[in-house]
Amino acid sequence: MNNEDGNTGNWEKQLGASLKRSLESQDDAPPFDEVIAAAERRHGDSKRPYAGIAGAAVVAAVVAAVAVAVMLMIEARAPTPDSMPKMLQVAELMDSTNWSAPSDVLLPTHEFDIYQELPVLLESTKPAEGALL
Amino acid sequence: MRDADALENNPEITRSALEAIHGQVFGWALSRCNYDRAAAEDLMQQAYVELLSGNALFRKKSTLKTFVFSVVQNLARSRYRRLATRLRLVREHATSTDDSFLPTEPDRNSEVWLAVKLLPHRQRDVIELVFCRELTIEEAASVMGVTTGTGRAHYDRAKKALRKTLKSLADDTK
Repeated sequence: MNNEDGNTGNWEKQLGASLKRSLESQDDAPPFDEVIAAAERRHGDSKRPYAGIAGAAVVAAVVAAVAVAVMLMIEARAPTPDSMPKMLQVAELMDSTNWSAPSDVLLPTHEFDIYQELPVLLESTKPAEGALL
Repeated sequence: MRDADALENNPEITRSALEAIHGQVFGWALSRCNYDRAAAEDLMQQAYVELLSGNALFRKKSTLKTFVFSVVQNLARSRYRRLATRLRLVREHATSTDDSFLPTEPDRNSEVWLAVKLLPHRQRDVIELVFCRELTIEEAASVMGVTTGTGRAHYDRAKKALRKTLKSLADDTK
């Protein structure tokens, strides 16, 4: 039994050695440094699409920030509630018997004459079932 | 503390360790690409890309060699199946006498290699991994993506088949 095991072991060793010999000529690999450098380049290239997306996101963020800043500036230039003409104050009105319009700001700037300025409506002269269209 | 030689996205792998198994990885890649050198170089490069990017993250659950061999095997299964078909078609339809398309197989006159070639592909893989790449049967099974029991069964069958084929080849030459 031991002899058989020994034979099997030897046979396996011989098999391994023969197989290695037959493969030896093939395993002359390209230099490691070249392969890893090429892999690094390929890895860098594969990251670029994400870099493009990140760049677009940065540009979008900058545009949004500029838009917000412009809106804030417009808001800042708008009249504050204090600077605007005062509206009716209920307390003041109740304490007094006189009242005058607080400001002309609330008055319409243009009074229009409804008889003069309304557009003339076109009327149809074609009757349809007894009525004008 | 992090090793300066370690890969950025794969801290358990060092360049020197990868370089130490580089030749064997290439041999395995060659075998996966039907001994087409250009395809094997491409496959190995892609395997390194997977390691560099951390897509294939080594967690020391096996030896580095087993892990890298598994990466090569998985890539060969998925991505290179189509490429292999294309290369085969190119070879079949190549009209020129240019032999750069031809795979450079291992020593074609080797009886052992001829016998190994006759084995079913799983048996051939386990024999190559154990005898040529010096992996254990467990490691070979892990690379092949089968259980250890299945790997062992393939190994035993392969050995029996090889013994038989080599014996008949030897008898023929007598």
